[in-house]
Amino acid sequence: MTIMTKQHVVTFVAKQGILIAFVLFMVGFAIANQRFIAMDNILGVVRSSAIIGVMALGVTFVVIGGNLDLSVGSMMSFSTIVVLDLHDKVGPAMAIPIMFALTLLLGAFIGFLVGYLKLNSLIVTLGMLSAIHGLTLTWSGGQNMDIADKSGTWFSFFGQDRLLGIPVPILVFGLLAVVLSLLLSKTAFGRQVYAVGGNGQAATFSGIPRARIVFLTYLVSSFCVATAGLLQASRSLGSQNTVGQGLELTVLAAVILGGASLLGGSGTVFKTVIGVLILGFIQNGLLLVGLDFYVQYMVTWAIIILAVWLDVAAKRGRLWSPIA
Amino acid sequence: MKMTMTAALACTTAMFGAAAAAQTTTIGITQNNVGVDSYQTTYERAFIAAAEANPDVDVIVLDAGGDVARQLAQMEDLIQQEVDVIIIWPTNGEAVIPAVRRAHNAGIPVVVTNSNIAEPGFDFIRSFSGPDNVTQGSRSAEIMCERFTELGIENEARVVQISGQPGYTTAIERQQGFDERLPEVCPNVTLVETQPGDWNRERSQQVMEAFLIKYDDIDGVYSGDDNMGIGALNAARAAGREGIVFVGATNFAVGYDAMAEGDYWGSIYQSPVDDAEAALQTAIDILNGEDVPFLNYFDTPKITQENMDEFTKPVF
Amino acid sequence: MTSQNRRDLIKQSGIWVFIVVELAFFSIVGNYLSVSDQAFMDFDNMLLLLKQSAPIGIIALGMTIIMINGNIDLSVGATFALAAIVLLDSMTWPFMQNLGNWAIPLAWGFALMTGVVLGAINGLIVWKTGVDAFIVTLGSMLGFRGLVFMYNGEQPTSHLNWTLVDFAEAQFLGLHTATWFLLGTALVLWLVTTRTNHGRNAYAVGNNRDAAVNAGIRVGPHIMWNFMLIGFLAALSAVVFYSESGSVNPNDGMLYELWAITAVVLGGTKLAGGYGSIIGTLGGVIAIQLLRKGLGHIGADTQTVNLVIGLILIAVLVMDRQLNRQGKEELKI
Repeated sequence: MTIMTKQHVVTFVAKQGILIAFVLFMVGFAIANQRFIAMDNILGVVRSSAIIGVMALGVTFVVIGGNLDLSVGSMMSFSTIVVLDLHDKVGPAMAIPIMFALTLLLGAFIGFLVGYLKLNSLIVTLGMLSAIHGLTLTWSGGQNMDIADKSGTWFSFFGQDRLLGIPVPILVFGLLAVVLSLLLSKTAFGRQVYAVGGNGQAATFSGIPRARIVFLTYLVSSFCVATAGLLQASRSLGSQNTVGQGLELTVLAAVILGGASLLGGSGTVFKTVIGVLILGFIQNGLLLVGLDFYVQYMVTWAIIILAVWLDVAAKRGRLWSPIA
Repeated sequence: MKMTMTAALACTTAMFGAAAAAQTTTIGITQNNVGVDSYQTTYERAFIAAAEANPDVDVIVLDAGGDVARQLAQMEDLIQQEVDVIIIWPTNGEAVIPAVRRAHNAGIPVVVTNSNIAEPGFDFIRSFSGPDNVTQGSRSAEIMCERFTELGIENEARVVQISGQPGYTTAIERQQGFDERLPEVCPNVTLVETQPGDWNRERSQQVMEAFLIKYDDIDGVYSGDDNMGIGALNAARAAGREGIVFVGATNFAVGYDAMAEGDYWGSIYQSPVDDAEAALQTAIDILNGEDVPFLNYFDTPKITQENMDEFTKPVF
Repeated sequence: MTSQNRRDLIKQSGIWVFIVVELAFFSIVGNYLSVSDQAFMDFDNMLLLLKQSAPIGIIALGMTIIMINGNIDLSVGATFALAAIVLLDSMTWPFMQNLGNWAIPLAWGFALMTGVVLGAINGLIVWKTGVDAFIVTLGSMLGFRGLVFMYNGEQPTSHLNWTLVDFAEAQFLGLHTATWFLLGTALVLWLVTTRTNHGRNAYAVGNNRDAAVNAGIRVGPHIMWNFMLIGFLAALSAVVFYSESGSVNPNDGMLYELWAITAVVLGGTKLAGGYGSIIGTLGGVIAIQLLRKGLGHIGADTQTVNLVIGLILIAVLVMDRQLNRQGKEELKI
């Protein structure tokens, strides 16, 4: 009987673990520093997490589909540089759709390689990480890209303005989260993504077009990357070629923290949002209590492993791994 | 690439006419991290252009991509290829010393460009060609102090500093110059905190956001270059904090523009074109057996909103 | 069975064919484009190639066994940096300075121990929690990097010891110190994978973990030994490289994990586990370094280097896929 209860507790903690951890963090930091829960601080954290967050939404689709995307950081640099460059050449109204089209093209290329050619996603996106960086440098000639007339363009709207008192990046992040959450949980496409990631073989036999679904997850991912690039470009109105460098792993950490299994087939958009916010608030909270940034690395290490451990423990019904 | 190619083709052609070949000298350069910011890209272009203009010189242009291991490998390659002079833009002022010694032992003179190597390596180089970064740091401190005095806050102002990449000699020297000079000219100004921004605009923006969360009262920001300074300015703008005096170094085009708009106060004018040409000239002078000063600085004057008309807008 | 063997042979020789193509290409193109009078295929240049392959190479060799196991290690870059810091910093400790040159082997020992301990931490977590190695090491990639920054903030750790540099720069029988370490590691690991029980178990675990458990292999400790091995090798790589350079930045070693994995995959090892060879990885490492060196030799610029390396990686994957598919299943689009 006691074992059963213990198991129930383990299962409950494991299933809701990430939410519990989130609440504990918030309460802890709020006690340590009042300023942490001030409205402007909270808005500030969410706003600066929005760019990572938007990318994480797309990567969630890829990961649920059973693949990885390590190229998002590099691709985000590309989107940012391209839209900034085109802004002064063809105007913002044209620059944005062209940038989206080009980024989606990159996503389609990756989707083709991973989906239709069935190549390993880790290596394909690793190769693309390097190749897209080369592409970005070729586009810009290695120069920083800056909008000439910074005060006179409406392009700054996405990254800097507020609507109804809320910063636009937060609205974009929230809106995209809702739309993609519906897409994943309420549509046939969403169910197919889970099916392909959960068991690719079975999915093929049950007539789900595996290749096309994987292809589409990469399109969703690149669309999100393009949106992130837009926010980034609009926020700073100028950029280096390396602006997204290294973000791929932060994004992946947020997605994993949200409970998406790297084996595919599980995860939700909502939990990814929680994962993103946890990373953002940890960074901010540790800073407010005066700890160095590297403490954040170690805290992230600990909670990633704890979160995933609890998740797999709940699935197998016991805490420790059965391998001898 | 195209330019190198033309230069190389010219060289191959020249080799058929044997007489000309004997005259040409080969200079190899290993750069720090081209493409990471405009300064380094502009430097590379200017270097290739300058070498092209000189028919007696061929250049091998390599880029270490910021990786020490790759730079050491490139040094070995240049030594193996028996170039006449090696120019190095160090990725890490200390880690490259053994590689520099190897070139020295192989009888190849080494010129360090832009950012010096650490002192234990001085025996193995012929010359350092670049800006005097300690002086740049002190000049930035003076610019900031003068501005505080104009504003009448020289007795209470609080300053934060965003430094360049740790371990990079330019970053260390600029910080040193600033840290030493500020208390001399403005003894009552407090330097609250220094954090590295890694020469990166995004990183610097994040560092500044953190400063703004931690400190309610910031009157001045000194950044190790304008690229980082603009990142800090963006953070202050987004947080709606006004009246902060921004002073940088290595005036970038964005910094120049922000100065013209009145958002950014001052900087140090330093041209990558001068930098590249000086390095190449130093190398050529060494080959011609001329006397070259060990520390071969080119001048980098102060630039502020008040005197910026005297300078043309930087191209990078 | 014979056709299987033949296919294996083709796959394993693939990387060496690729290397020969690279050599031919850069030699011929180099004649037209290179400024240097030296031929690309110069003997000394080829010796340098081996030496320059060592930092990534030693790590990649260890990564091969991890990947044959069906695992992966993303934390090797951070382990590399931390071991380097321990190496250089330990020589400045007061009691070490009293030891004179005896401090050097001791410092090597400390650094290698650091690597083993970090590897053991990864291995233990993978074993006991059953969390996928990718996630465990993604976490420790951050965590170990945090330790690196904790040690000395964002400042570099430096200690220049000329005795150490002279040792690292020495050549024995024409080969550089680093080359000896690279080849020595390759030889030992080749013997381990092909001649020992541990090696056979590595393939068995990677092929089918459950079957391996049923066959009585103690999978947990086996995996942990391999993580300790790669920790050791990441540290060995740091020891060999930083003996010659004397200063480590806290960001050093970043992306090394990705280059090491790339080399292993180029060498024919399967990410899913159960298949792979040390000799293939050695080829993969040399192929990448040759590509870098060659592109530099013909004067390619930064963006071309990035573009070409990324696309070649994908191209090799496509070709490999085609070889694997022969006779089984036609490519369907």
